[in-house]
Amino acid sequence: MRKKLISAALALTFAMSALTAGNVTAYADDGDVTTVTWYASRPVDGAIDKTMREIAQQYSDEHDGKWKMEVITEADRPSYLSKLRTLVAGGNMPDIIDIDATPYCQELVDAGLLVDVKKFLQDENLYDSYQPTALKYQEFTNGTMYTLPLEYHVEMIWYNKKIFADNNLEVPKTMDEWLDVCAKLKDAGITPIAVDGVDRWPVLRYLAFMPFRESGNDYIINLSEGKASMGDDIGKKAIDFMQKIGPYFQDGFGATDYATAQAMFLDGQAAMYYIGDWEIAAMQDEYQNGDIGYFYLPTYDGAKTAANEFCVNSGIGMAFNSETFDDKTKDFIKYVIANYGKLYAEKDQMSPIKTELSTDHEYSDLYKSVYNDMNNTGENFLKPWDCYLDSNSCQVMEDNLLLLAAGDQGPDEFINLVDSAIADYTNQ
Amino acid sequence: MKGVIRDKKAFLVFLLPCLLFYLFSVFYPIEESIRLSFMKWGGLGAKKFVGFQNYIKLFQDKVFYTAFFNNLIYLAIVVCMQVLIGLLFAVLLTYIRRGATLIKTLYYVPCIITTVAVTQMFRSMYAVQPEGIINQVLKAFGLGRFATSWLTNTKTVLACVSIPEGWRYSGLYMVIFYAALISVDPEICEAARVDGANAWQTLFRVKIPMIKEVLLLVLTMALTGALRGFDIPYILTNGGPGNVSELMSTYMYKKAFGSNQFGYGSAIAVFIIVESMLVVAILNRIFTSKDEIEEKKSLRRTRRSKARS
Repeated sequence: MRKKLISAALALTFAMSALTAGNVTAYADDGDVTTVTWYASRPVDGAIDKTMREIAQQYSDEHDGKWKMEVITEADRPSYLSKLRTLVAGGNMPDIIDIDATPYCQELVDAGLLVDVKKFLQDENLYDSYQPTALKYQEFTNGTMYTLPLEYHVEMIWYNKKIFADNNLEVPKTMDEWLDVCAKLKDAGITPIAVDGVDRWPVLRYLAFMPFRESGNDYIINLSEGKASMGDDIGKKAIDFMQKIGPYFQDGFGATDYATAQAMFLDGQAAMYYIGDWEIAAMQDEYQNGDIGYFYLPTYDGAKTAANEFCVNSGIGMAFNSETFDDKTKDFIKYVIANYGKLYAEKDQMSPIKTELSTDHEYSDLYKSVYNDMNNTGENFLKPWDCYLDSNSCQVMEDNLLLLAAGDQGPDEFINLVDSAIADYTNQ
Repeated sequence: MKGVIRDKKAFLVFLLPCLLFYLFSVFYPIEESIRLSFMKWGGLGAKKFVGFQNYIKLFQDKVFYTAFFNNLIYLAIVVCMQVLIGLLFAVLLTYIRRGATLIKTLYYVPCIITTVAVTQMFRSMYAVQPEGIINQVLKAFGLGRFATSWLTNTKTVLACVSIPEGWRYSGLYMVIFYAALISVDPEICEAARVDGANAWQTLFRVKIPMIKEVLLLVLTMALTGALRGFDIPYILTNGGPGNVSELMSTYMYKKAFGSNQFGYGSAIAVFIIVESMLVVAILNRIFTSKDEIEEKKSLRRTRRSKARS
């Protein structure tokens, strides 16, 4: 009896430990139902999320439910990225992931984990069905492409027409005029610009403006590769602009989150707000009433990039695990590309896939206006700096940028910190 | 059945699941952290052994020193708030005859609110836009010049990320202290009173020395908790602006999971473990009185002589 009891207990213990040690694989072939996992970083119930789920459902129905897509969403980008890194480090990369063409993405490519999306699109004759800029945005600096865009955006500066009229202000055309407008607003006791400092990236955009006007994306490419310094002429201009515009952000912008910043602008507590067209639904009513308008990034004489060139992007891309990218997944992706454009545009979104505006959906004036702008953008586009910088340098830059913009840190220290972080990475 | 329980081998079998779980969930991660701290690893590919390089880098890293000293300030604020407020309220509570349970429950509530909710609450309180309650109150009392953006002002931010943690758990320590205080034999207090001790003397000379063990426990919990402090500062400011409110744990997390420097992050983690162990050891040492040390020594001596004979 005793021996039996002990051996039973032992067996149970080993069985338990074997269970916990078992590996969790993302790709499951459960009987004859194929489940593909998409680890996504898109707002839940946002247009992309909805469109993809609709398409996946439609596709599943057409295949008698033998195909399923499981979407695991983590909309908060920083925590998404750290979870993704942890999953990859643990050898459990999901079948489909969301990722920008960052140095980390390049590491995944170098490790052979991602599918060459450019080749896939070309092989399937689908490359030309996309907006060229949308695909170009997804490319690495060497021209290769491993991510598929699901969105297409322009970023603009929204402004409160009433505040501008009350203070006799014109929409600024040049950077100096822009700073001038800010100064006048501040003198009148109005917060010139609302910005979301909690997420860091909106502040980082302001640092990127001058270098983009000076050099396109050349400066940031060189900077990220250690061939340029934050203390170069262009870098100093960027810092100078940041120090000039920083005081026009709302008080305590570093602790203001996305929703609050946007609400400040829409409530008329701030005169301007920089955000992309993904927020046109939020801007719709005020725009229709003539309360707000928008303008694109100002320029100046002798700038290298034109007035119709600014931040155009196709957002975070979708990448595929090369180990699980089989014919079934390929077929699904082709199905997505065939159906996505129309469904997505009908949700008042700009599609990265060339789509004629369908007649059975009524588009707002704002949508049509932005749609037109997008078809008339120049060849250059500002690519966000977080796509070029390695994660550590980006973090150092973003962390210290808040201090720089708030006037709590001098340019020299900022230059030093950024340069040494980048040197750390490039010397590896 | 009796035989099984008497058998010493059976103990092992019953202990095994727990032991395995402990080894797997506590010991293994610590061991892995230590191992990783000697490696350079970006999360992909092979890990490269680099010896003590991560530790050398650690002691040359300015941000690490900032984080270390910030952590000390954070620790001081959090532990003072938790222990002093906890003890004060517990003492006051012992004088209340009716409604003590209700008050206890109310003060305990912050412990069971999720971190994110606590953080959001404090964020709105500290906010400038829309104006938070702290600035509103300051302005209402004519102290508008002190109103500031608490979480972005480099002078206030560190204290501001410490206070929520201190506030949150003072209720927990209050409950622990209260339980200890009411378990002190009333006859001893009575005797002190007969000997002419006033209320203060009874409290400081009798009651608090009587709950010394509990005080040690609470201090250990509060100190190690504060050394590991992470969630509230991380959500409130993410160590910012710049690294002004950086703590060691937030820095460790940033390096390991934000910057993909798993080796370097592990070195910071190992430092935190060693530091926590040191603090507990020092605390134990302080709380062990000379008599107790003598007692232990003599006990050891007798054991040794017994073993010899």
